Amino acid sequence: MSLLLDILSTAAILFIVSCGLLLIFGVMKIINFAHGGFLTLGGYAPLLVTQWGWSPWAGGAVAFVIGIGCGALVERFIVRPLHSRPLDAILATWGLGIVIGQLITLAFGRGVQFAASPLSGTVHLFGTEYSVYRLALIGMSLAVAAAIAGVLNGTRLGLITRAVTMNETLARGLGVNSARVRLSTFAFGAGLACLAGALITPLSSVDPNMGVPWLTNAFMLAMISGTSLLSLGVACLLLGGAQVLVSVFGSPVLGALTIVVLGALVLRIRPGGFARG
Amino acid sequence: MKKPLNRQHLALLAVAIALLIVGPWVLPQFAQNTLVRSCLYAVVAITVDLLWGYAGILTFGQATFFGIGAYSAGLVFTHLGFSAGTAVLALVGGIAASMAVAALVGWLSFYPGATPLYASVVSLVLPIVATQIIFSGGNFTGSSSGLSGFESFEIETSTWLWLSGGLLLLTTLAALRFVRSDVGRLLAAVRENEARCDYLGLNTSRLKMLLLVGLSGVCALAGFLYATYGMVVAPEMAGFQFGTELVIWVALGGRGTVLGPVFGTLFIDLGSAYLSGDLPFVWKLVLGVAFVFVIVVMPKGLLPALVGRFTRRTDASTAPAGKLVDAEPQPLAGLAARGRLALHVDAVAKHFGSLTVLRDVSFDARHGELLSLVGPNGAGKTTLMRCISDGRERSSGTIALNDHDIGRLPPFECVRLGIGRKFQTANVFDGLTVLDALAVARTRLDRPRMWRRSESVALPAAAMAIVRTTGLDQLLATPCRVLSHGQKQALELAMVLALEPNILLLDEPTAGLSKPERTQIGDTLVRLAAEHQMCVVLIEHDLDFVCEISSRVIVLHQGEIVLDGSVDEVVHSTLVRDIYAGAAALPHAAAERTA
Repeated sequence: MSLLLDILSTAAILFIVSCGLLLIFGVMKIINFAHGGFLTLGGYAPLLVTQWGWSPWAGGAVAFVIGIGCGALVERFIVRPLHSRPLDAILATWGLGIVIGQLITLAFGRGVQFAASPLSGTVHLFGTEYSVYRLALIGMSLAVAAAIAGVLNGTRLGLITRAVTMNETLARGLGVNSARVRLSTFAFGAGLACLAGALITPLSSVDPNMGVPWLTNAFMLAMISGTSLLSLGVACLLLGGAQVLVSVFGSPVLGALTIVVLGALVLRIRPGGFARG
Repeated sequence: MKKPLNRQHLALLAVAIALLIVGPWVLPQFAQNTLVRSCLYAVVAITVDLLWGYAGILTFGQATFFGIGAYSAGLVFTHLGFSAGTAVLALVGGIAASMAVAALVGWLSFYPGATPLYASVVSLVLPIVATQIIFSGGNFTGSSSGLSGFESFEIETSTWLWLSGGLLLLTTLAALRFVRSDVGRLLAAVRENEARCDYLGLNTSRLKMLLLVGLSGVCALAGFLYATYGMVVAPEMAGFQFGTELVIWVALGGRGTVLGPVFGTLFIDLGSAYLSGDLPFVWKLVLGVAFVFVIVVMPKGLLPALVGRFTRRTDASTAPAGKLVDAEPQPLAGLAARGRLALHVDAVAKHFGSLTVLRDVSFDARHGELLSLVGPNGAGKTTLMRCISDGRERSSGTIALNDHDIGRLPPFECVRLGIGRKFQTANVFDGLTVLDALAVARTRLDRPRMWRRSESVALPAAAMAIVRTTGLDQLLATPCRVLSHGQKQALELAMVLALEPNILLLDEPTAGLSKPERTQIGDTLVRLAAEHQMCVVLIEHDLDFVCEISSRVIVLHQGEIVLDGSVDEVVHSTLVRDIYAGAAALPHAAAERTA
């Protein structure tokens, strides 16, 4: 039973961590390698918030706002000039990730730190003790998914964004300001990355390089999901599930490799990944 | 053949050799220690540059091949002891293991239809997997702390510097020679336009794979030397971090220049050694900022920006102009030998999902025929041509070229059966010169050389005639991108003819050409069919032009053949008139459709 909960909560965490990357990849067709940097940045928000004496819950909100601000700046000055050079955009955002990591090191030191968890303790569920926070993450991931879907399907900006995703040239021909769509997408994606960093912090510790290991997994999940949130959910469940199973029945080292290796193989067999078409 | 090694190059070489000889006597110990390492890193950086700067494959995985070479030394010396015999074993084993892994990576990354991004993805996964394998190796691999304390060669640091500096010098010279060779030119062509290479009969996947495997051996050699020099190996050597640092050095120095990455690596690694002690985080921060800045503002890197005029010469396309010679007439043999039928198309269909683009298309064509495919837009003409030249395209039916069933063969294999395809829009190599483009087209017949560049390109009579009549022979050193539209069309036709095909597929070869150019192409096509006994299949919209030159016409409409006959039959067919003029003759129907 706890295995099932492990799978569900792992998938939830993966979903939260990779949805920002997927959004940017889907709309802008570039991989934001600064995603790891944004995750780290967000991870420090709960730390700050608890130092200020606020409720640990505020960490997520603060991280989200910081992420949106930084994302907008990065899009304007780094990503926009590289629009026609997607491979270079990968490199520039990777360099940016290094810059973020070093700035954080200068500000907070390179040591490992711990942030207070907003929910602690365990709960008795289906005959096992299980961490409350991990359970809460399942709910939060659904909330994040619902929020993204709401923005994409319920607002005018979302409608325009979907249009740009499907056919940017056509959308521009119809008078859509696609530069603004890209700016808001990148800002939103970076905000989600920071939020994710804040949400996963209570599970582990905070250090200036915490984002990098997540980056590769998130990257692979986004690659095989194409542009759809639903297929990201499926990919998180399948590959996250595989990761948990391999870690439990095989070895944790192999488990850490499961997502990247399976992801690469899936892409080899089906270049389009899980997305239809 | 004389290589015009200019004075600047010779001076640079002399300085490099002088520095290498003098270095170990004048440099302080610490600088020497660091430089041994930096030189070996620079060797790996050159391999990154060849893959990324020249062949267009962005890779993070070269670190792993370096790591395999290093771990091979570490493992052998730790577990088997050190002797001359085990050293040879470690070196050979390391290179072999590295090449085997590279072959696996190449098989994963470079399959027909793979995207460049996917190759980068695989190169990213490789170091992650490698580090985890080292971590899980326990005492055997030393896990996260690596292996140290093994015996190795007892050589002075100064000798090591001569050794690693010498290796760097040799690798640099070899790389510079390689990128200017026939094969180097081929790499540039693949980077510029892989689809065109595919249709020129080149197995681009295999080419990239061979390059990757060869370079992985070089990395393993550098790694082996690093381990025997430092007497320590650590998982970081094979890791993702090192892989990205290599890319950063190459980008800062200037990708696609060989020298840029060498200088970039030496300066940055030496700088890191001196500065990271005092300003550990600031130094990395500065590097990161510089990297982002260079990528955004100067994508070519610092070296070309600093000495642009000088290093632009290192690009493959700027060699002195060569000349064209007549190719030995060779009777077509093997698979491409003339079949009973040139082209046999039987019940071919093509669907995109629920949309049917071709339905039950069957016809045969013989050598010496000039067959025109006509029909309104959307009739499926180009799709049919794609199905004929790429076995993976059609949904059902069979196609045979020169009596060989093409099955599911990719385009480069179809070319071997004697087919040549010219695309609808002129499709050449923008970054290459006219001569280079023709040389690339001849690759399949005249084997390219790895260390030399052929100064002359042999062309068969048909291709030579096109080049002469359009004046391209006066523009051999001109980059393709500055050619006029008509010249590009002619060049592409000449490239296709250089393949010596006996079945020629042409998709609107006269689109956008002037009347005299059109007549010229028309005459050429008639001659190709009549004198060279080629089977020419042509897509054309201009019915007058079609009637003038064709020996037979096939009319396609909504994916089906509606007429297959002589020019006369087509001209007098009311059906064809209805298809073409139907909409125009009924203004209300046209108005309804657009409403």
